Amino acid sequence: MHSLRPWLTPALFVAPGFLVYTAFILYPMLQAVIISLYDWKIVAGATSTFLGLANYVRAFNDAHLWLSLSNSAIYMLFTVPPQIALGLGIALLLQHKSPAQPLFRVLYYLPVVTSWVVVSLLFKYLFADRGLINFLLGLQVSWLSERGTALVAICALGVWKGIGWSMMIFIAALQGVPGSLIEAAKIDGAGPWQRFVSVTLPAIWPTMGFISIMLVIGGLNVFTSVQAITDGAPGGSTDVVLTHMYRTTFAFLDFGYGSAIAVLLTVLVFALSAFQLRFFRNGATS
Amino acid sequence: MSFVPTRRGALLSVAAVSALMLASPVLAQDVTIEFWGSYGNGGNSTQQDALNDTLIPAFEAAHPGIKVKYVDVPYDSLLQKLTTSAAGGELPDLVRADLGWVPQFADLGVLDPLSDTMPDFQALADATYPGVLATNLYKGKYYGLPLDTNTRVLVTSQAALDAAGLSAPPATFDELKAAAPKLKEAGFSVFADGGLGGWNILPWIWSGGGNITNPEITKSSGYLDSAENIATVRMLVDLYNAGSIPNLIIGNQGATGTSDGLPSGEYANIFDGPWMAGIWRDQYPDFTPIYAPIPAGPGGSVSVVGGEDIVVTASSPHKEAAYEFVRFTQSELFQVEMVKTGQMTVLPAYADQQASIAPFYSTFSEQLKTAKSRLAIAQGGKVDGILSAELTKAFTGEASVKDALTAAATQIDAILAAE
Repeated sequence: MHSLRPWLTPALFVAPGFLVYTAFILYPMLQAVIISLYDWKIVAGATSTFLGLANYVRAFNDAHLWLSLSNSAIYMLFTVPPQIALGLGIALLLQHKSPAQPLFRVLYYLPVVTSWVVVSLLFKYLFADRGLINFLLGLQVSWLSERGTALVAICALGVWKGIGWSMMIFIAALQGVPGSLIEAAKIDGAGPWQRFVSVTLPAIWPTMGFISIMLVIGGLNVFTSVQAITDGAPGGSTDVVLTHMYRTTFAFLDFGYGSAIAVLLTVLVFALSAFQLRFFRNGATS
Repeated sequence: MSFVPTRRGALLSVAAVSALMLASPVLAQDVTIEFWGSYGNGGNSTQQDALNDTLIPAFEAAHPGIKVKYVDVPYDSLLQKLTTSAAGGELPDLVRADLGWVPQFADLGVLDPLSDTMPDFQALADATYPGVLATNLYKGKYYGLPLDTNTRVLVTSQAALDAAGLSAPPATFDELKAAAPKLKEAGFSVFADGGLGGWNILPWIWSGGGNITNPEITKSSGYLDSAENIATVRMLVDLYNAGSIPNLIIGNQGATGTSDGLPSGEYANIFDGPWMAGIWRDQYPDFTPIYAPIPAGPGGSVSVVGGEDIVVTASSPHKEAAYEFVRFTQSELFQVEMVKTGQMTVLPAYADQQASIAPFYSTFSEQLKTAKSRLAIAQGGKVDGILSAELTKAFTGEASVKDALTAAATQIDAILAAE
């Protein structure tokens, strides 16, 4: 028994967190995988039919899922780079001490702490036919009546709400850039742009990786704003993967297929995250 | 041996009396039955107030020992709440269910088949309108009783008629088409609606002489894509392309809703239900809506039956108390009180009282005589999704009307085959 003793203390420390993780994350995830193999009946005691991989085959043949996935991808592509670029830009502007700095930090961070539902409804009214955007721009665009323009509204909300978060992380990372290195580069005659590219950027590269991974995960998981602004309208053309999954599951009570979509999205997000991790790690070592 | 009261004896008699009280149903501890519904929806609290302030107190006074706890759930989240509660075994005793949900939940096995379990079910059922009662029937059993009913009629703005020099709401498809350019010139859309699901499009389809399936509800191809339906939908698409129907109909969430657009002078005609009277009275006191039948086409003037049913859940621990409340909902007190708040009675016996409460009900009662109900299938929600997605393509020009209807019919066939 004495051989167990060295493990006992660390195991006791790990146990609470591990138990919570198992009960509330691992178990539901595994359960979703199991449900995805059945024509799942939600009510306790009802018998569900085992379908094998039929729900997955159905997913690959589901044209609407592909459309939803393309909308999620568009959302990701048009919200992640702006959030990184603008977040970093604002962080650079706000890293120098000034009396107004705390105020600006709060102002830029404010959208992050607002409720998704509230700001989604606000954007819905801003982009309404008789909304403020049309009024200010002197336009008569029916933003939410068509896939492309509706996605503009949804992406605009995503960027507006997300900048503050990446800004905050970048500010923290910028504070970790050694001042001596910047000073040395200055003495060597490097201009501001050169200092940024050769000193600052490599120093914050791991943070860049972290932000990129988190934003891509968040981008593919977009749900609340789409649900609240268009609910997939017109005719499902603005559905994203999660609104499609939600409707399949909770409106049509097709829990097996809904779970299969969830599993596929998880696999995709996992693969993209692994790829980015590799990319940013290679970038840091080269 | 004389009887000497002892402490033990006193305790025993207290215990005996308590046991008696527990055994007697009247003296039993109060049971509380929970009732979920969405009476408070639409920013109109009059129905919820009638229930909480008048009807539930009346029921509780007549049934000592039964307490009713009404939980108001917004309509949009009620279906999800019911589903997750069914999964967790946390359903209430009673639900006021949209009539489209009854087959869906009966299929899940969470509803009590009242036609088997309530001894007086038949008598209660016979007193209701048969078309409305039919919405409770699923695979040979009745899972509920009608609670309230409604239908959609044509609602017209007098201001629009005046502005376009028209004397009356359009009574036929042809009059509607003829009115469109005049109204457009006066700045009004001839017609507006908030979607293309069954609730929206079926009045047009039925009035146009078409249908969406065969009478046995086993096939849609050959019915939804019939010549009649192509003509009806093409008429709407033509009006849409001419700018006489706003893109609210394809689900533009940024357009003005029908309940605001009609009184505010954007739309000339909409289809809507009897509950709007109360909402407009509060929000647009100067607006007087004109109620008229759905414009008649080759198939006559046919609208869609709406309303709610009351169901008892299979998991309810207080079924007898729940049945008692179900009986109460069919009473004159309950039905007439709800009529005053904008819900139409499901019992023909109270139709006259209804007409005397508000004359506008007569248009709705008249329309209900020919109104039809949507498909009584578990996957009715999917049919709405298909209609809306495919018809949107016809309106935006992505597909021809015929192709859109054929595509929808093919998908509906697959759903009917799986029922």
